Amino acid sequence: MAKEVYSELMKEVEEGKFVWTGELEPEKAGSVESVVQAAKDLKGHVIACNVTDSPQSFATLSSLVAAYKIQEEAGMEAVYQLRCSDRNRIALQADVLGAGVMGIKNILALTGDHVALGDTPDAKPVYDLDSTTLSYMIRKIVDEGKDLAGNEIAEPPKMHIGAAGAPGAAVLQAEAYKVKRKVKAGAEFIQTQVIYLPEVLDNFFKELGDLGVPVFVGIFPAKSYGAAKFFDEAVAGVDVPPDYLKNLKKTKEIKDKAKRKEEVDRVNVEYFTGFLEHLKDTPATGCHMMAVGYPRIIPALKKVVE
Amino acid sequence: MIAQEQKPMDEILGYLEGKQRIVTMGCGGCATFYQTGDKKAVKEMAEKLTKEGKDVTKIFLPLGISACEIDMSSVFLEKNRKAIEGCDAVLVQSCGEGVQVVREYLDDKMGLAKSVYPANNSMGNVGGGPTDFKETCQGCGECELGKIAGICPLTACGKGLMNGPCGGVREDGKCETDPEKDCAWVKIYERLEKLGELDELLKMREPHAWSKMKRPRTFKIEKPISLGRTMFGSIPEYVSFGLRKPFTPKHEEKAEGE
Repeated sequence: MAKEVYSELMKEVEEGKFVWTGELEPEKAGSVESVVQAAKDLKGHVIACNVTDSPQSFATLSSLVAAYKIQEEAGMEAVYQLRCSDRNRIALQADVLGAGVMGIKNILALTGDHVALGDTPDAKPVYDLDSTTLSYMIRKIVDEGKDLAGNEIAEPPKMHIGAAGAPGAAVLQAEAYKVKRKVKAGAEFIQTQVIYLPEVLDNFFKELGDLGVPVFVGIFPAKSYGAAKFFDEAVAGVDVPPDYLKNLKKTKEIKDKAKRKEEVDRVNVEYFTGFLEHLKDTPATGCHMMAVGYPRIIPALKKVVE
Repeated sequence: MIAQEQKPMDEILGYLEGKQRIVTMGCGGCATFYQTGDKKAVKEMAEKLTKEGKDVTKIFLPLGISACEIDMSSVFLEKNRKAIEGCDAVLVQSCGEGVQVVREYLDDKMGLAKSVYPANNSMGNVGGGPTDFKETCQGCGECELGKIAGICPLTACGKGLMNGPCGGVREDGKCETDPEKDCAWVKIYERLEKLGELDELLKMREPHAWSKMKRPRTFKIEKPISLGRTMFGSIPEYVSFGLRKPFTPKHEEKAEGE
């Protein structure tokens, strides 16, 4: 039986295309206008956009609502991110079923950062499920029309399940086993945490072996020195190369705004050309561009792979 | 055992403000082990309260007689009925179970409506010793240890994940929530590697069944434990162990000598 394809993203995968996905972050705000605008800016550059769910446990507007809005108002397919940190299996199921009704075709099943790391550290963390069991739950809903307890679900939604991978994980072997476990549990694609170093990429694929599902490698061309520094310091398992950081830092000295932008772009294109040339020789079948608010960099990077 | 430490004296005195006659009661179980409710702790508490001008009656519970085990602790409550009847407040130097079991007995069996206060903060199940303890079991009612290399991630993992590690593991294998704490899943990985059972990591652990954690939980046994079954029946083992060993950290000396 041919694999059923529900989303544009998976259609591109099936067609053997190199896939580009983007990322959008709903804010701590009562509006999604900026997210919809950012989705419009990314239109044509990426096939779908992840919509983050309270990243790093900073409580933001609902990822489901923002995912729906970018599909409706920007015509951008969403990869709806869903965390286990804040919902038990009943709430997760409710959101998955709701997402189906809202036309969501891709879900990224995440465990989620510990709530203690975010801006609401007194919240009670949930973690009733984890990324593996959430993937399994969605798989069961989609394929069997049943929930985890075995209860029947009428008119189950049709959607694809993605999961995350952390190539820079401190204990890579344990992480690789987990990624394989998530695929066994039902994940159909893997999007990785940001990688800057080609050797991190190589080690990850070496550990994974033949995974059997597409892997989209996370890259983060930083719009500013500050953004790159944040990744280096605050995000677990992400090392930003010192030379790249240094070159970005130098751009701060340029007074003229337009020239500074140009130089930042040049630094990024230079660095990522090397990285993407390397990536072409790995089993990666796509890139997940976490260049939030930096769509102008994408065409130059896509050229490298094409 | 239930880990516990004594509350700050200011907090205890705050509860007892305006109350003159105080009964303070110890516990011969965990609180004796953690020295928050043993005979010495009760004496010291009584001294402090006396210094504050209170009239204090002490109730000591010997080792093995826990405040939370009412069949035994009630003997001491009944013996001190007069003092309790005449007191303004009862302070219980045990965990929260002990405090509430005593409170319930006073209410329901002795017919005494008394203010009952905790002297300690209890922090739940811990194991280890002789001086350092850690929580490894939360008593969830559905033990998963047989499936996960003898390490419970529900308790030892910061997120309680059945399928880890999460992306937050630190370089040194510590938890993202606390640089001092080990990542449970790295420990599980290392242990399975030693056991030659890494393939176990490819298996998905089903979501934990939390239904047995439905609070408040109750528990029933067919008949109460007898002294014959516990202490007297085990005399040969006590003798071979050496009765004084639990009270002096002999194994520590031995470990150093090895």
